Amino acid sequence: MSSESRSRIMARVRGASLGQGADAIEQELAGLGVAPAAPLPHEDTCIAFMVNVLRNQGTLDIAGDRNEAVKVIGRYIYQHFRSHRLVAGNDPHLAAMPWRDSGVLPRFGEVEPGEPVALSYAQWGVAETGATIFLTGKSNPSRNNLLPEHHLVLLDVNNLLPDLESLWQQLEPVFDRGGRPRGINCIAGPSSTADIEAKLVYGAHGPRAWHVILTGEVSSQQLQTALDIHADKKNPGDS
Amino acid sequence: MKLQSQHFQAKTAEALADTAGVAQRDVLALFAPMLRDAAVQEFGSFEALRQHVKHIRQHSLDNLDYYLARFELEATNNGNQVHYADTSEEMNSIVLDICQQHDARRVAKGKSMVTEETGLNDFLQRGGLEVVETDLGEYIIQQAGETPSHIVGPALHKSEQQIRELFLEKHALGERELETTADLVTEARTVLREHFLKADVGIIGSNALIAENGYSMLVTNEGNGDLCANLPNVLIICTTLDRVLPRGEDATAMQRLLVRSATGQPQTCYTSFYSGPRREGELDGPLETHIVLLDNKRSDILASDYKEMLQCIRCGACLNHCPIFAAAGGHSYGWVYSGPMGSILTPLLTSLEASEALPNACSSCGRCEEVCPAAIPIPDLLRDLRHEQSRQKITAPRWRSGLKLHAWLAMRPALYQFLTGTTMTILHRFGRKKGSFSKLPLAGGWTGKRDFPAPQSSTFMQQYKARSKADE
Repeated sequence: MSSESRSRIMARVRGASLGQGADAIEQELAGLGVAPAAPLPHEDTCIAFMVNVLRNQGTLDIAGDRNEAVKVIGRYIYQHFRSHRLVAGNDPHLAAMPWRDSGVLPRFGEVEPGEPVALSYAQWGVAETGATIFLTGKSNPSRNNLLPEHHLVLLDVNNLLPDLESLWQQLEPVFDRGGRPRGINCIAGPSSTADIEAKLVYGAHGPRAWHVILTGEVSSQQLQTALDIHADKKNPGDS
Repeated sequence: MKLQSQHFQAKTAEALADTAGVAQRDVLALFAPMLRDAAVQEFGSFEALRQHVKHIRQHSLDNLDYYLARFELEATNNGNQVHYADTSEEMNSIVLDICQQHDARRVAKGKSMVTEETGLNDFLQRGGLEVVETDLGEYIIQQAGETPSHIVGPALHKSEQQIRELFLEKHALGERELETTADLVTEARTVLREHFLKADVGIIGSNALIAENGYSMLVTNEGNGDLCANLPNVLIICTTLDRVLPRGEDATAMQRLLVRSATGQPQTCYTSFYSGPRREGELDGPLETHIVLLDNKRSDILASDYKEMLQCIRCGACLNHCPIFAAAGGHSYGWVYSGPMGSILTPLLTSLEASEALPNACSSCGRCEEVCPAAIPIPDLLRDLRHEQSRQKITAPRWRSGLKLHAWLAMRPALYQFLTGTTMTILHRFGRKKGSFSKLPLAGGWTGKRDFPAPQSSTFMQQYKARSKADE
């Protein structure tokens, strides 16, 4: 049934198409140029990314190295859950963290229903959208990004990209090396809905909170600049 | 979904009599354009983006045979099973067959207007499956036994109180509270989380299909579509063949337009790309994935003068800016797609005769075309449909006679100007004191609902001629 339908549909589509050869089509496409990206809120990609994370209703921490990252993660979990437990994927970046030093008790694997907090390692961050990018795979179960109440994300500042076009450029060698990941998830904020009288509510189906920990060479001054820009955008009348 | 467009005028009268509904629609008609305008202003080069994506979409449709075959090849190589459905019935059968092959009992569904179009839920339920809509708006209307009133916000016609009463009636609440909007969202989250975890099959739609790599793009804020795509063992993506775009960057360029035009957001919470089933060693994800590509007359549209309509990205901006949609509400249109885009798609996908009122539900104000991110000439396409209705004698004889008379007069400018000039002079004389008429012969349709303003003393042409003479 489906193969007959395929033949019929393809025949109609062929009849309505221009009938150009592959080379001509690719050439025409290349000539259409590149789409403009959204303007960044700051010329520094890192600050621009942080502003957009805040704008997406995310929260932020910065950590100079792995030791500091473990500390801020431990502090976050304790403040919100009075606990030291979290679930993390088997990502080598997460497994290699000095968890014991700050008393955090990670369980590596998949989030089970009812577990409130998970930590994921983001492959990249995109400054244009303030999104963190995850590639599903052995060490990155997608349910860890979707099921917990609070989703914590560890992101290396060296992996920040300016725009979505750069993301596709970064993905090309990934595709060539290990094939196409099953899922590429761009997460930019806690889950939200405005389906009831257009009132915005967070925590529709996915996490209610989304906390990004930027590691590497990122200063508290950069974070403060991002916080200031975000506050100005929210309250443009205030000086 | 059963077509009810033939009742447009009766349903519009009902909608206008519902004062609470009118007030709710007025608020949305005020705020939705404000949100979009702010996002567009902030982007800056929005027009350049709009034109870029339009050219890409045009190129994709011009070469759809090439890109569709490429997508099918790449998606198959990624491990998907790709199916083609000529009609709604065929899509429904394919999906039911897949569910039955897996002895599925429960289906978790993400928002998909394509499956609303085909009436998939009813079909699967008749086949013995439990189908639960998981987008909050779709879940609300499913519980209420209603149809979507808006392609982006399907339950925006319902008040918070109505939703509260619905949950009180349908849910075994126990200790759970429903006082605030957040309580209602939490209630749906709690109930639907169970469905996600138990579902055998997940069904989602797709915002774009990427030819070069076989990925399917899904854009949501709630994350429900991603739960449907990741938790059940079988994933079925129901979409249409016109969604194909050449490259990944084309899909994300379109997404820039989509989110700003739909909700005024710079970015949705979840933008995901799915390529196929679970990879070796992966802990989660579906074991089997299917992509069902529906035609349902779209290949006919591709070959017609209405081809540009296939560039529609389903953002809902034309609905949010349409004075007729704001007055009549989405349900009056009587099918899945409402507002200006629905007034074109419904006749093309169903029947020009049964949806006769829709192309006429237009004041030709042009706002839809101004805000359409795909730059579709919506008023022109609506006019072409009206012309087609007249040509096929679907339009009522008295309207056709009236239009013929008007055309005859319009082609005789001297007579036209004499008659309009005389009529306006008479109306001005009789009406200048009161400023309007509450009754006028041959204009009962107008004066039955509102006063007819008394015209100025002379017509535009009379004033133009007088000024030209004075300038000489």
